[in-house]
Amino acid sequence: MTTSLFFVQLINGLQYGLLLFLIASGLTLVFGVMGILNLAHGSMYMVGAYLAWYFVQQTDSFTLSALISAIIALLIGIVVERTLIQRLYRRNHLDQVLLTIGMIFVFNALQSILWGNDPLGVQVPEAMSAAIPLTEVVEYPVYRIFVALVCVAIAAVMYFMINRTRLGMLIRAGESNREMVECLGIDISRLYTIVFAIGVMLAAVAGVIAAPMSSIVPGMGEHVLIACFVVVVIGGMGSIKGAFIGALLVGLVDTFASVLLPQLSSMMIYILMAFILLIKPQGLFSS
Amino acid sequence: MLFNKRTERYFVWVFFPLALLMPLFLEQNTFYVSKLTTVMIFAIFVMSLDYLVGRCGLITLGHAMFYGLGGYIFVMIAPEYEAVNFWIYTFYICAIAAAVALVIGFLVLRTSGIYMIMITLAFAQMAYYFFSDSLDFGGNDGVFIYVKPDTSIFGLSLFDLENPVHFYYLCLLSLFNTLFFFRLVTRSRFGRVIDSIHENPGRTTALGYNIFLFRLMAYTLASALGAYAGYLFTLQYGFVNPSMLAWTTSGSALVMSILGGIGTLYGAILGTLVYEGLHFSLEHLTEHWLLFMGALIILMVILFKNGIAGYLENLLERR
Repeated sequence: MTTSLFFVQLINGLQYGLLLFLIASGLTLVFGVMGILNLAHGSMYMVGAYLAWYFVQQTDSFTLSALISAIIALLIGIVVERTLIQRLYRRNHLDQVLLTIGMIFVFNALQSILWGNDPLGVQVPEAMSAAIPLTEVVEYPVYRIFVALVCVAIAAVMYFMINRTRLGMLIRAGESNREMVECLGIDISRLYTIVFAIGVMLAAVAGVIAAPMSSIVPGMGEHVLIACFVVVVIGGMGSIKGAFIGALLVGLVDTFASVLLPQLSSMMIYILMAFILLIKPQGLFSS
Repeated sequence: MLFNKRTERYFVWVFFPLALLMPLFLEQNTFYVSKLTTVMIFAIFVMSLDYLVGRCGLITLGHAMFYGLGGYIFVMIAPEYEAVNFWIYTFYICAIAAAVALVIGFLVLRTSGIYMIMITLAFAQMAYYFFSDSLDFGGNDGVFIYVKPDTSIFGLSLFDLENPVHFYYLCLLSLFNTLFFFRLVTRSRFGRVIDSIHENPGRTTALGYNIFLFRLMAYTLASALGAYAGYLFTLQYGFVNPSMLAWTTSGSALVMSILGGIGTLYGAILGTLVYEGLHFSLEHLTEHWLLFMGALIILMVILFKNGIAGYLENLLERR
């Protein structure tokens, strides 16, 4: 492998890892704070991508489309939490699994009714359609770097929000002791709605910014869901820091495996996960 | 009484006689007979998963690995153009699957809860990609089975696997035996220790039981039965392909067992029947069956706290 190829794969891996982090952070946040195992999380990623496509068609502006999609995702999150998820807090994980699988079915059906089953594509925004030449033959698209930067920015905002704001303080408190937070007069069910909606929005935003890089196809949600669970479990359920490290690990391993060990590439992240869980049965950063 | 709940007795008395008579009504229509056969086979698989998840508290998302292995082991060990003996190969397949389960169980049972769900998924995905990427096993297309095994015992051939009605009865018998067998297991000393582990692992350890060993045995047992179901499926359709080991197979089996009422065993049959029945009838009614399927599943979670079996028990066992 030449140095430039190595470099390109390194950025690819990091960029994929960061995107995974964006989706996985919502998953781990919802699990950590609310104790809800949301299998429909991948569907939100899919919904984000389809919404981005739809609104780009309508408005001709990627930025505007991203903004509208994010707001719609937030609303979906609030409605789903208020109508369905709220009934699950006193149930076990298996009921949560069943209900959220039912949600996957509904979202997939709606996608096929509203937008059909043909693969769709979103144009890379005009301003970022260039590519940076690395060597004479190898160049790297600007948009992918932009995606990586957006992910880093969102990660930084989340870090700040959780560690420095009042909402973050409540989230951390809710994670460690639900009853005590309630006793202090905090409306925990409102907090849960906010956390769930934020989680949904994060997944949808990931879908929006991934839309110009990949084709939008039915079933994209389930594919990413499994990868996210791998990330979250490697990092330790409920740990945002763990999700970050796990996402970068999975991104890099997946990217390099497809170059170095093509025959094992699709298996590699599972081998990684099995290996880590056998050494640390609770993930890397379990609380 | 072996079936100690009234609801379960009712169910057994209604379901099995009806199922026994079913081919008489459907004599001309082998399509429905083979459709029902597939449901029975899958119910065996779901029941073995239900035992693991509901009775042992070991939630796995990798059970389809053994379903698929049931088929692939057959392809690996049986000669391609020669009929083998069904009974001997049933034994071989269950034994080999049990050996595989012993090794994998030894690794995965060190974890618990969500981590166990994920590590079982990891092993199943490895097996999935192993078979779907491998040229020896036909990649994504899988392998065809040209000659079905013959079922003679000491030269006496009781039934023919090529005949759909005969095969239906074989699967129905297998399903009944599986339920019967699991009931025997749950009533045995072993089953009581398993229940006790499910209830309170710490206290069971304190009583001097090696809970890891008991869990490993239960895992091996359920996996071998899962492989048997996969073997039947392979024989019914005459092929094996990687989609049998896909995580979606494990996922839908889990859905059926929760839907039926987790841990009730006979609920596995109910769950499989209702799920497959809904799937089949909605698919015929509308192109967007998934929407109604999803909505119905959501409704059932909200309405039935312990699945369909739980709902029936509430109705029938109220005093």
